[in-house]
Amino acid sequence: MRRGNPPDPPSLGDVLDWSEASEVRPGQRRPRPRGPQARLEAMAWGLFSAGGFVAAVLLPIHVAILGIAFAAGWLPDKALSYSRILHLARNPLTKVYLLAVISLPLYHWAHRFRFAIHHQFGIHLRRLVAVACYGAAVAGTGLAVWVLLRI
Amino acid sequence: MAEGTMTLKVARYRPEHREKPYFDEFDVPYREDMVILDALNYIKDEMDGSVTYRWSCRMGVCGSCGMMVNYRPRLTCSTFLREFYPKPVVVQPLENFPVIRDLVVDLTSFMDKLRQVKPWIIRENEAALESGEYLQTPDQVEKYKQFSMCINCMLCYAACPVVAKDPEFLGPAVIALAHRYNLDSRDQGRGERHRAIAVDWGIWDCTFIGECSVACPKDVDPAVAIQREKVAKTTDTMLSMVLPFGGQE
Amino acid sequence: MTPDGRRRYPVYVPQPSRTWWLKSGPYRRFAAREITSMFAAIVSGLLLAFLFALSSGPGSYQDFLRLLETPGMAAFSAVILAALLYHTATWFRLTTHIVVIRLGQRAVPRSALLAALLGAWIAVSAAVAYFHIWF
Repeated sequence: MRRGNPPDPPSLGDVLDWSEASEVRPGQRRPRPRGPQARLEAMAWGLFSAGGFVAAVLLPIHVAILGIAFAAGWLPDKALSYSRILHLARNPLTKVYLLAVISLPLYHWAHRFRFAIHHQFGIHLRRLVAVACYGAAVAGTGLAVWVLLRI
Repeated sequence: MAEGTMTLKVARYRPEHREKPYFDEFDVPYREDMVILDALNYIKDEMDGSVTYRWSCRMGVCGSCGMMVNYRPRLTCSTFLREFYPKPVVVQPLENFPVIRDLVVDLTSFMDKLRQVKPWIIRENEAALESGEYLQTPDQVEKYKQFSMCINCMLCYAACPVVAKDPEFLGPAVIALAHRYNLDSRDQGRGERHRAIAVDWGIWDCTFIGECSVACPKDVDPAVAIQREKVAKTTDTMLSMVLPFGGQE
Repeated sequence: MTPDGRRRYPVYVPQPSRTWWLKSGPYRRFAAREITSMFAAIVSGLLLAFLFALSSGPGSYQDFLRLLETPGMAAFSAVILAALLYHTATWFRLTTHIVVIRLGQRAVPRSALLAALLGAWIAVSAAVAYFHIWF
Protein backbone atom coordinates (compact mmCIF):
# COMPACT_ATOMS: atom_id res chain seq x y z
CA MET A 1 0.00 0.00 0.00
CA ARG A 2 1.37 3.42 -0.89
CA ARG A 3 0.95 6.38 1.40
CA GLY A 4 2.19 9.93 1.62
CA ASN A 5 4.15 11.79 -1.02
CA PRO A 6 5.14 9.92 -4.16
CA PRO A 7 8.84 9.14 -4.76
CA ASP A 8 10.50 11.75 -6.95
CA PRO A 9 11.29 11.30 -9.81
CA PRO A 10 9.53 8.12 -10.98
CA SER A 11 11.73 5.77 -13.00
CA LEU A 12 10.77 4.22 -16.31
CA GLY A 13 10.57 0.47 -16.55
CA ASP A 14 9.09 0.01 -13.09
CA VAL A 15 6.00 -2.05 -13.02
CA LEU A 16 4.50 0.43 -10.62
CA ASP A 17 4.86 4.05 -11.52
CA TRP A 18 3.36 7.39 -10.70
CA SER A 19 1.12 9.04 -13.23
CA GLU A 20 2.04 12.27 -14.91
CA ALA A 21 0.11 15.46 -14.46
CA SER A 22 -0.96 17.65 -17.33
CA GLU A 23 2.35 17.72 -19.15
CA VAL A 24 4.87 15.12 -20.28
CA ARG A 25 7.95 15.17 -18.05
CA PRO A 26 10.42 17.76 -19.43
CA GLY A 27 13.34 15.36 -19.88
CA GLN A 28 11.28 13.01 -22.01
CA ARG A 29 10.47 15.15 -25.03
CA ARG A 30 13.11 14.81 -27.70
CA PRO A 31 14.31 18.07 -29.27
CA ARG A 32 12.28 18.97 -32.33
CA PRO A 33 14.22 18.45 -35.54
CA ARG A 34 14.48 21.71 -37.44
CA GLY A 35 15.57 22.30 -41.00
CA PRO A 36 17.91 19.65 -42.36
CA GLN A 37 16.80 16.72 -40.23
CA ALA A 38 13.12 17.18 -40.99
CA ARG A 39 14.05 17.42 -44.67
CA LEU A 40 16.18 14.27 -44.42
CA GLU A 41 13.31 12.27 -42.98
CA ALA A 42 11.09 13.35 -45.86
CA MET A 43 13.78 12.46 -48.39
CA ALA A 44 14.37 9.11 -46.73
CA TRP A 45 10.70 8.33 -47.03
CA GLY A 46 10.68 9.51 -50.64
CA LEU A 47 13.55 7.16 -51.46
CA PHE A 48 11.84 4.35 -49.55
CA SER A 49 8.71 4.92 -51.59
CA ALA A 50 10.56 5.05 -54.92
CA GLY A 51 12.50 1.94 -53.95
CA GLY A 52 9.29 0.19 -53.08
CA PHE A 53 7.85 0.89 -56.51
CA VAL A 54 11.01 -0.25 -58.28
CA ALA A 55 11.10 -3.40 -56.19
CA ALA A 56 7.42 -4.06 -56.87
CA VAL A 57 7.37 -3.31 -60.58
CA LEU A 58 10.83 -4.09 -61.93
CA LEU A 59 12.56 -6.64 -59.70
CA PRO A 60 10.22 -9.63 -60.22
CA ILE A 61 10.79 -9.83 -63.98
CA HIS A 62 14.57 -9.66 -63.56
CA VAL A 63 14.50 -12.52 -61.06
CA ALA A 64 12.14 -14.47 -63.29
CA ILE A 65 14.49 -14.11 -66.26
CA LEU A 66 17.92 -14.50 -64.68
CA GLY A 67 17.00 -16.73 -61.76
CA ILE A 68 14.38 -19.07 -63.16
CA ALA A 69 13.89 -18.86 -66.94
CA PHE A 70 17.61 -19.13 -67.65
CA ALA A 71 18.16 -22.12 -65.33
CA ALA A 72 15.08 -23.82 -66.76
CA GLY A 73 16.37 -23.37 -70.28
CA TRP A 74 13.43 -21.31 -71.43
CA LEU A 75 15.51 -18.51 -72.94
CA PRO A 76 16.64 -18.50 -76.58
CA ASP A 77 20.27 -19.60 -77.01
CA LYS A 78 21.91 -16.23 -77.57
CA ALA A 79 19.75 -14.31 -75.10
CA LEU A 80 22.43 -14.02 -72.40
CA SER A 81 25.50 -14.20 -74.61
CA TYR A 82 28.42 -12.17 -73.36
CA SER A 83 28.69 -9.91 -76.38
CA ARG A 84 24.98 -9.16 -76.56
CA ILE A 85 24.56 -8.37 -72.87
CA LEU A 86 27.79 -6.35 -72.82
CA HIS A 87 26.57 -4.29 -75.76
CA LEU A 88 23.20 -3.78 -74.07
CA ALA A 89 24.80 -2.80 -70.75
CA ARG A 90 27.17 -0.31 -72.36
CA ASN A 91 24.25 1.81 -73.55
CA PRO A 92 24.06 4.88 -71.25
CA LEU A 93 20.28 4.58 -70.97
CA THR A 94 20.66 1.01 -69.79
CA LYS A 95 23.20 2.16 -67.23
CA VAL A 96 20.82 4.77 -65.83
CA TYR A 97 18.07 2.13 -65.68
CA LEU A 98 20.36 -0.36 -63.97
CA LEU A 99 21.50 2.23 -61.44
CA ALA A 100 17.86 2.85 -60.48
CA VAL A 101 17.02 -0.85 -60.32
CA ILE A 102 20.00 -1.66 -58.12
CA SER A 103 20.16 1.43 -55.94
CA LEU A 104 16.55 2.32 -55.10
CA PRO A 105 15.54 -1.04 -53.56
CA LEU A 106 18.51 -0.63 -51.21
CA TYR A 107 16.96 2.53 -49.75
CA HIS A 108 13.66 0.72 -49.48
CA TRP A 109 15.35 -2.03 -47.47
CA ALA A 110 17.36 0.47 -45.40
CA HIS A 111 14.23 2.35 -44.29
CA ARG A 112 12.28 -0.79 -43.40
CA PHE A 113 15.23 -2.39 -41.64
CA ARG A 114 15.87 0.78 -39.64
CA PHE A 115 12.34 0.69 -38.21
CA ALA A 116 12.44 -3.07 -37.73
CA ILE A 117 15.48 -2.53 -35.50
CA HIS A 118 13.60 0.05 -33.44
CA HIS A 119 10.17 -1.56 -33.27
CA GLN A 120 10.84 -5.28 -33.55
CA PHE A 121 14.26 -5.61 -31.95
CA GLY A 122 13.66 -2.81 -29.47
CA ILE A 123 17.00 -1.08 -30.03
CA HIS A 124 17.00 2.72 -29.76
CA LEU A 125 20.22 4.57 -30.74
CA ARG A 126 18.21 6.31 -33.43
CA ARG A 127 20.94 8.33 -35.06
CA LEU A 128 23.44 5.46 -35.20
CA VAL A 129 20.93 3.04 -36.67
CA ALA A 130 19.78 5.57 -39.29
CA VAL A 131 23.33 6.37 -40.37
CA ALA A 132 24.22 2.68 -40.54
CA CYS A 133 21.19 1.70 -42.62
CA TYR A 134 21.13 4.56 -45.10
CA GLY A 135 24.92 4.50 -45.15
CA ALA A 136 24.79 0.91 -46.34
CA ALA A 137 22.38 1.94 -49.10
CA VAL A 138 24.66 4.81 -50.13
CA ALA A 139 27.62 2.44 -50.16
CA GLY A 140 25.66 0.07 -52.40
CA THR A 141 24.83 2.96 -54.70
CA GLY A 142 28.50 3.91 -54.89
CA LEU A 143 29.42 0.34 -55.67
CA ALA A 144 26.80 0.26 -58.43
CA VAL A 145 28.18 3.45 -59.98
CA TRP A 146 31.69 1.99 -59.90
CA VAL A 147 30.64 -1.29 -61.51
CA LEU A 148 28.57 0.45 -64.17
CA LEU A 149 31.50 2.69 -65.08
CA ARG A 150 33.63 -0.44 -65.40
CA ILE A 151 31.38 -1.92 -68.06
CA MET B 1 -35.58 -13.20 -18.95
CA ALA B 2 -32.06 -14.59 -18.75
CA GLU B 3 -31.29 -17.19 -21.38
CA GLY B 4 -28.30 -18.68 -19.60
CA THR B 5 -25.15 -17.47 -17.87
CA MET B 6 -21.79 -16.34 -19.11
CA THR B 7 -18.45 -15.92 -17.39
CA LEU B 8 -16.61 -12.62 -17.48
CA LYS B 9 -12.97 -12.53 -16.39
CA VAL B 10 -12.48 -8.92 -15.38
CA ALA B 11 -9.03 -7.45 -14.79
CA ARG B 12 -8.72 -5.75 -11.41
CA TYR B 13 -6.04 -3.39 -10.21
CA ARG B 14 -6.37 -1.98 -6.73
CA PRO B 15 -2.95 -0.72 -5.62
CA GLU B 16 -4.20 -0.03 -2.08
CA HIS B 17 -4.91 -3.76 -1.66
CA ARG B 18 -2.64 -5.62 -4.07
CA GLU B 19 0.50 -4.48 -5.83
CA LYS B 20 -0.13 -6.23 -9.16
CA PRO B 21 -3.23 -6.58 -11.32
CA TYR B 22 -5.30 -9.77 -10.98
CA PHE B 23 -8.50 -11.26 -12.41
CA ASP B 24 -11.95 -11.66 -10.87
CA GLU B 25 -14.45 -14.05 -12.44
CA PHE B 26 -18.14 -13.22 -12.54
CA ASP B 27 -21.02 -15.33 -13.87
CA VAL B 28 -23.57 -12.92 -15.32
CA PRO B 29 -27.03 -13.75 -16.66
CA TYR B 30 -26.97 -13.83 -20.44
CA ARG B 31 -29.49 -12.35 -22.83
CA GLU B 32 -29.02 -12.24 -26.57
CA ASP B 33 -29.21 -8.46 -26.70
CA MET B 34 -26.66 -7.77 -23.96
CA VAL B 35 -23.38 -5.99 -24.57
CA ILE B 36 -20.21 -6.18 -22.47
CA LEU B 37 -21.15 -2.88 -20.87
CA ASP B 38 -24.47 -4.33 -19.73
CA ALA B 39 -22.57 -7.21 -18.15
CA LEU B 40 -20.19 -4.82 -16.38
CA ASN B 41 -23.10 -2.73 -15.12
CA TYR B 42 -24.79 -5.89 -13.83
CA ILE B 43 -21.59 -6.86 -12.03
CA LYS B 44 -21.27 -3.43 -10.47
CA ASP B 45 -24.95 -3.26 -9.47
CA GLU B 46 -25.44 -6.78 -8.18
CA MET B 47 -22.13 -8.47 -7.50
CA ASP B 48 -19.16 -6.18 -6.77
CA GLY B 49 -19.72 -2.45 -6.50
CA SER B 50 -16.00 -1.71 -6.49
CA VAL B 51 -15.45 -2.62 -10.15
CA THR B 52 -14.35 0.60 -11.84
CA TYR B 53 -14.73 1.45 -15.53
CA ARG B 54 -15.63 4.31 -17.83
CA TRP B 55 -18.76 4.60 -19.95
CA SER B 56 -21.21 7.26 -21.01
CA CYS B 57 -23.40 7.30 -24.09
CA ARG B 58 -23.73 3.49 -24.41
CA MET B 59 -24.27 3.94 -28.14
CA GLY B 60 -20.81 4.17 -29.67
CA VAL B 61 -20.39 7.93 -30.07
CA CYS B 62 -18.65 9.18 -26.96
CA GLY B 63 -15.55 7.02 -27.01
CA SER B 64 -15.44 6.42 -23.24
CA CYS B 65 -15.87 2.66 -22.96
CA GLY B 66 -12.85 1.36 -24.87
CA MET B 67 -11.37 -1.80 -23.32
CA MET B 68 -9.61 -4.99 -24.36
CA VAL B 69 -12.21 -7.69 -24.94
CA ASN B 70 -10.60 -11.08 -25.53
CA TYR B 71 -7.32 -9.27 -26.22
CA ARG B 72 -8.79 -7.00 -28.90
CA PRO B 73 -9.58 -3.30 -28.41
CA ARG B 74 -13.36 -2.86 -28.54
CA LEU B 75 -16.06 -0.46 -27.42
CA THR B 76 -17.83 -2.39 -24.68
CA CYS B 77 -21.14 -0.68 -25.45
CA SER B 78 -21.03 -2.02 -28.99
CA THR B 79 -19.67 -5.52 -28.38
CA PHE B 80 -22.37 -8.10 -27.93
CA LEU B 81 -22.03 -11.03 -25.54
CA ARG B 82 -23.55 -13.28 -28.19
CA GLU B 83 -20.35 -12.90 -30.20
CA PHE B 84 -18.60 -15.06 -27.56
CA TYR B 85 -21.38 -17.01 -25.86
CA PRO B 86 -21.07 -19.53 -24.29
CA LYS B 87 -17.28 -19.14 -23.94
CA PRO B 88 -15.89 -16.89 -21.19
CA VAL B 89 -14.85 -13.34 -22.07
CA VAL B 90 -11.70 -11.62 -20.81
CA VAL B 91 -12.09 -7.89 -20.16
CA GLN B 92 -8.94 -5.86 -19.57
CA PRO B 93 -8.06 -2.18 -19.61
CA LEU B 94 -7.03 -0.58 -22.89
CA GLU B 95 -3.52 -1.65 -23.86
CA ASN B 96 -0.54 0.70 -24.10
CA PHE B 97 -1.84 3.03 -21.41
CA PRO B 98 -0.95 3.13 -17.72
CA VAL B 99 -3.72 1.61 -15.60
CA ILE B 100 -5.13 3.74 -12.80
CA ARG B 101 -7.64 1.25 -11.43
CA ASP B 102 -9.38 -1.88 -12.71
CA LEU B 103 -10.42 -0.98 -16.27
CA VAL B 104 -9.62 2.74 -16.14
CA VAL B 105 -6.50 3.99 -17.91
CA ASP B 106 -4.52 7.22 -17.74
CA LEU B 107 -5.21 9.26 -20.85
CA THR B 108 -3.00 12.24 -20.00
CA SER B 109 -0.42 11.39 -22.68
CA PHE B 110 -3.10 11.30 -25.35
CA MET B 111 -4.49 14.67 -24.29
CA ASP B 112 -1.02 16.16 -24.40
CA LYS B 113 -0.35 14.74 -27.87
CA LEU B 114 -3.70 15.97 -29.14
CA ARG B 115 -2.91 19.50 -28.06
CA GLN B 116 0.40 19.40 -29.91
CA VAL B 117 -1.25 19.16 -33.33
CA LYS B 118 -3.67 22.06 -32.75
CA PRO B 119 -6.90 20.30 -33.76
CA TRP B 120 -8.88 23.43 -34.55
CA ILE B 121 -9.30 25.78 -37.51
CA ILE B 122 -6.25 28.01 -37.75
CA ARG B 123 -6.64 31.21 -39.77
CA GLU B 124 -3.91 33.55 -40.89
CA ASN B 125 -6.55 36.22 -41.32
CA GLU B 126 -9.92 36.01 -39.63
CA ALA B 127 -12.78 37.22 -41.80
CA ALA B 128 -14.96 39.93 -40.30
CA LEU B 129 -18.07 38.72 -38.47
CA GLU B 130 -20.32 40.66 -40.86
CA SER B 131 -19.13 38.65 -43.86
CA GLY B 132 -20.84 35.58 -42.43
CA GLU B 133 -19.71 31.96 -42.13
CA TYR B 134 -16.89 30.37 -44.07
CA LEU B 135 -18.74 28.55 -46.83
CA GLN B 136 -17.96 25.04 -47.96
CA THR B 137 -19.27 23.02 -50.87
CA PRO B 138 -20.33 19.40 -50.28
CA ASP B 139 -17.21 18.31 -52.20
CA GLN B 140 -15.00 20.26 -49.83
CA VAL B 141 -16.69 18.66 -46.84
CA GLU B 142 -16.31 15.23 -48.37
CA LYS B 143 -12.54 15.65 -48.49
CA TYR B 144 -12.15 15.60 -44.72
CA LYS B 145 -15.42 14.20 -43.46
CA GLN B 146 -14.20 10.66 -42.90
CA PHE B 147 -11.38 11.86 -40.63
CA SER B 148 -13.71 14.07 -38.61
CA MET B 149 -15.60 11.02 -37.39
CA CYS B 150 -13.01 10.26 -34.70
CA ILE B 151 -14.56 9.89 -31.24
CA ASN B 152 -11.19 9.79 -29.44
CA CYS B 153 -11.89 6.29 -28.14
CA MET B 154 -8.20 5.36 -28.49
CA LEU B 155 -8.84 1.81 -29.65
CA CYS B 156 -6.30 2.62 -32.37
CA TYR B 157 -3.64 3.33 -29.73
CA ALA B 158 -4.32 -0.01 -28.10
CA ALA B 159 -3.96 -1.72 -31.46
CA CYS B 160 -0.73 -0.02 -32.54
CA PRO B 161 2.56 -1.79 -31.78
CA VAL B 162 4.49 1.42 -32.39
CA VAL B 163 2.57 3.10 -29.55
CA ALA B 164 3.55 0.13 -27.37
CA LYS B 165 7.22 0.40 -28.29
CA ASP B 166 7.49 4.18 -28.39
CA PRO B 167 5.25 5.92 -25.83
CA GLU B 168 6.07 9.29 -27.37
CA PHE B 169 4.63 8.35 -30.75
CA LEU B 170 1.83 10.81 -31.48
CA GLY B 171 -0.36 7.96 -32.60
CA PRO B 172 -3.08 7.29 -35.14
CA ALA B 173 -5.98 9.39 -33.85
CA VAL B 174 -3.91 12.50 -33.27
CA ILE B 175 -2.32 12.43 -36.72
CA ALA B 176 -5.66 11.59 -38.35
CA LEU B 177 -7.17 14.65 -36.66
CA ALA B 178 -4.26 16.80 -37.81
CA HIS B 179 -4.93 15.48 -41.31
CA ARG B 180 -8.62 16.33 -40.94
CA TYR B 181 -7.79 19.96 -40.29
CA ASN B 182 -5.12 20.06 -42.97
CA LEU B 183 -7.77 18.97 -45.47
CA ASP B 184 -10.35 21.49 -44.29
CA SER B 185 -10.71 24.29 -46.85
CA ARG B 186 -11.37 26.78 -44.06
CA ASP B 187 -8.06 26.02 -42.38
CA GLN B 188 -4.79 27.85 -43.02
CA GLY B 189 -2.62 26.11 -40.46
CA ARG B 190 -1.05 23.31 -42.47
CA GLY B 191 2.48 24.60 -41.99
CA GLU B 192 2.09 24.79 -38.22
CA ARG B 193 0.67 21.31 -38.07
CA HIS B 194 3.37 19.89 -40.27
CA ARG B 195 5.94 21.14 -37.78
CA ALA B 196 4.05 19.21 -35.12
CA ILE B 197 3.56 15.93 -36.99
CA ALA B 198 6.49 15.72 -39.44
CA VAL B 199 8.81 14.64 -36.64
CA ASP B 200 10.53 11.50 -35.41
CA TRP B 201 7.72 10.71 -33.00
CA GLY B 202 5.02 11.72 -35.50
CA ILE B 203 4.31 10.50 -38.99
CA TRP B 204 7.80 9.10 -39.60
CA ASP B 205 7.52 6.59 -36.76
CA CYS B 206 4.54 4.90 -38.38
CA THR B 207 5.29 1.78 -40.41
CA PHE B 208 1.79 1.31 -41.84
CA ILE B 209 0.97 -1.82 -39.89
CA GLY B 210 -2.66 -0.86 -40.38
CA GLU B 211 -4.10 -2.37 -37.21
CA CYS B 212 -5.29 1.04 -36.08
CA SER B 213 -7.73 1.24 -38.96
CA VAL B 214 -8.91 -2.30 -38.29
CA ALA B 215 -9.69 -1.38 -34.68
CA CYS B 216 -11.42 1.91 -35.44
CA PRO B 217 -15.17 1.67 -34.73
CA LYS B 218 -15.98 4.75 -36.84
CA ASP B 219 -14.12 3.86 -40.07
CA VAL B 220 -11.84 6.86 -39.76
CA ASP B 221 -8.96 4.91 -41.34
CA PRO B 222 -6.16 6.70 -39.45
CA ALA B 223 -3.51 4.54 -41.15
CA VAL B 224 -4.34 6.07 -44.51
CA ALA B 225 -4.41 9.56 -43.00
CA ILE B 226 -0.86 9.11 -41.74
CA GLN B 227 0.42 7.81 -45.08
CA ARG B 228 -1.19 10.72 -46.90
CA GLU B 229 0.52 13.12 -44.54
CA LYS B 230 3.83 11.40 -45.35
CA VAL B 231 3.17 11.88 -49.05
CA ALA B 232 2.15 15.51 -48.49
CA LYS B 233 5.23 16.27 -46.42
CA THR B 234 7.56 14.56 -48.89
CA THR B 235 6.11 16.40 -51.88
CA ASP B 236 6.23 19.68 -49.96
CA THR B 237 9.89 19.09 -49.17
CA MET B 238 10.74 18.17 -52.76
CA LEU B 239 8.92 21.22 -54.08
CA SER B 240 10.52 23.55 -51.57
CA MET B 241 13.94 22.30 -52.65
CA VAL B 242 13.23 22.78 -56.32
CA LEU B 243 11.20 25.99 -56.22
CA PRO B 244 12.83 28.66 -54.06
CA PHE B 245 9.52 30.08 -52.86
CA GLY B 246 7.42 26.99 -53.33
CA GLY B 247 6.11 24.42 -50.86
CA GLN B 248 4.51 25.07 -47.51
CA GLU B 249 7.72 25.23 -45.48
CA MET C 1 -3.06 17.33 -5.21
CA THR C 2 0.62 17.27 -4.24
CA PRO C 3 2.33 20.51 -3.07
CA ASP C 4 3.73 21.25 -6.54
CA GLY C 5 0.15 21.25 -7.87
CA ARG C 6 0.43 17.99 -9.81
CA ARG C 7 -2.03 15.14 -9.40
CA ARG C 8 -0.19 11.96 -8.58
CA TYR C 9 -1.60 8.49 -8.22
CA PRO C 10 -0.03 5.07 -8.63
CA VAL C 11 -0.39 3.50 -12.06
CA TYR C 12 0.46 0.10 -13.42
CA VAL C 13 2.59 0.30 -16.57
CA PRO C 14 2.67 -3.04 -18.36
CA GLN C 15 5.84 -3.79 -20.30
CA PRO C 16 5.34 -4.25 -24.06
CA SER C 17 6.12 -7.67 -25.48
CA ARG C 18 9.44 -8.15 -27.27
CA THR C 19 7.88 -10.57 -29.71
CA TRP C 20 4.65 -8.73 -30.44
CA TRP C 21 5.11 -9.36 -34.16
CA LEU C 22 4.56 -13.09 -33.66
CA LYS C 23 1.45 -12.71 -31.59
CA SER C 24 -1.35 -12.46 -34.20
CA GLY C 25 -2.07 -13.15 -37.86
CA PRO C 26 -2.02 -9.50 -38.94
CA TYR C 27 1.23 -8.86 -37.04
CA ARG C 28 2.89 -11.92 -38.59
CA ARG C 29 1.80 -10.85 -42.05
CA PHE C 30 3.21 -7.41 -41.33
CA ALA C 31 6.55 -8.94 -40.33
CA ALA C 32 6.56 -11.07 -43.52
CA ARG C 33 5.87 -7.96 -45.57
CA GLU C 34 8.77 -6.13 -43.99
CA ILE C 35 11.12 -9.07 -44.54
CA THR C 36 10.47 -8.95 -48.29
CA SER C 37 12.52 -5.74 -48.35
CA MET C 38 15.52 -7.85 -47.38
CA PHE C 39 14.96 -9.99 -50.47
CA ALA C 40 14.77 -6.86 -52.61
CA ALA C 41 18.18 -5.83 -51.26
CA ILE C 42 19.50 -9.32 -52.02
CA VAL C 43 18.33 -8.97 -55.63
CA SER C 44 20.16 -5.65 -55.85
CA GLY C 45 23.26 -7.45 -54.66
CA LEU C 46 22.83 -10.27 -57.15
CA LEU C 47 22.31 -7.87 -60.05
CA LEU C 48 25.41 -6.01 -58.93
CA ALA C 49 27.35 -9.28 -58.87
CA PHE C 50 26.05 -10.12 -62.34
CA LEU C 51 27.21 -6.76 -63.70
CA PHE C 52 30.54 -7.07 -61.92
CA ALA C 53 31.09 -10.45 -63.53
CA LEU C 54 30.14 -8.91 -66.87
CA SER C 55 32.61 -6.09 -66.41
CA SER C 56 35.38 -8.54 -65.51
CA GLY C 57 35.45 -10.27 -68.88
CA PRO C 58 33.87 -13.26 -70.63
CA GLY C 59 35.44 -15.81 -68.28
CA SER C 60 33.94 -14.31 -65.12
CA TYR C 61 30.66 -13.80 -66.94
CA GLN C 62 30.43 -17.45 -67.97
CA ASP C 63 31.29 -18.50 -64.41
CA PHE C 64 28.41 -16.42 -63.15
CA LEU C 65 26.02 -17.88 -65.71
CA ARG C 66 27.06 -21.36 -64.60
CA LEU C 67 26.28 -20.34 -61.01
CA LEU C 68 22.83 -19.20 -62.12
CA GLU C 69 22.19 -22.59 -63.68
CA THR C 70 22.84 -24.58 -60.49
CA PRO C 71 19.71 -26.09 -58.88
CA GLY C 72 20.56 -24.42 -55.56
CA MET C 73 20.59 -21.01 -57.15
CA ALA C 74 17.39 -21.74 -59.04
CA ALA C 75 15.66 -22.82 -55.84
CA PHE C 76 16.89 -19.69 -54.08
CA SER C 77 15.60 -17.61 -56.98
CA ALA C 78 12.19 -19.20 -56.59
CA VAL C 79 12.15 -18.24 -52.92
CA ILE C 80 13.23 -14.70 -53.80
CA LEU C 81 10.58 -14.44 -56.48
CA ALA C 82 7.87 -15.58 -54.06
CA ALA C 83 8.99 -12.92 -51.57
CA LEU C 84 9.08 -10.24 -54.29
CA LEU C 85 5.60 -11.14 -55.47
CA TYR C 86 4.33 -10.82 -51.90
CA HIS C 87 5.94 -7.39 -51.82
CA THR C 88 4.30 -6.40 -55.11
CA ALA C 89 0.89 -7.62 -53.96
CA THR C 90 1.04 -5.79 -50.62
CA TRP C 91 2.61 -2.69 -52.16
CA PHE C 92 -0.11 -2.37 -54.79
CA ARG C 93 -2.87 -3.05 -52.27
CA LEU C 94 -1.56 -0.40 -49.90
CA THR C 95 -1.09 2.07 -52.76
CA THR C 96 -4.78 1.77 -53.63
CA HIS C 97 -5.57 2.82 -50.07
CA ILE C 98 -3.27 5.82 -50.04
CA VAL C 99 -3.87 7.25 -53.50
CA VAL C 100 -7.20 8.97 -53.87
CA ILE C 101 -8.32 10.37 -57.22
CA ARG C 102 -11.38 12.48 -56.72
CA LEU C 103 -14.20 12.94 -59.16
CA GLY C 104 -16.39 15.48 -57.39
CA GLN C 105 -17.83 13.84 -54.32
CA ARG C 106 -16.86 10.34 -55.36
CA ALA C 107 -13.46 8.78 -55.79
CA VAL C 108 -12.04 6.32 -58.32
CA PRO C 109 -12.78 2.86 -56.84
CA ARG C 110 -9.83 0.98 -55.40
CA SER C 111 -10.40 -1.98 -57.69
CA ALA C 112 -9.91 0.27 -60.73
CA LEU C 113 -6.64 1.58 -59.29
CA LEU C 114 -5.47 -1.96 -58.60
CA ALA C 115 -6.30 -3.01 -62.17
CA ALA C 116 -4.36 -0.02 -63.51
CA LEU C 117 -1.33 -0.87 -61.34
CA LEU C 118 -1.41 -4.52 -62.40
CA GLY C 119 -1.76 -3.54 -66.05
CA ALA C 120 1.19 -1.18 -65.82
CA TRP C 121 3.23 -3.86 -64.05
CA ILE C 122 2.57 -6.42 -66.76
CA ALA C 123 3.31 -3.93 -69.54
CA VAL C 124 6.58 -2.78 -67.96
CA SER C 125 7.65 -6.37 -67.26
CA ALA C 126 6.98 -7.28 -70.87
CA ALA C 127 9.08 -4.33 -72.06
CA VAL C 128 11.95 -5.29 -69.75
CA ALA C 129 11.76 -8.92 -70.91
CA TYR C 130 11.84 -7.79 -74.52
CA PHE C 131 15.00 -5.76 -74.04
CA HIS C 132 16.65 -8.37 -71.85
CA ILE C 133 16.00 -11.33 -74.10
CA TRP C 134 15.35 -10.34 -77.68
CA PHE C 135 16.42 -6.79 -78.44
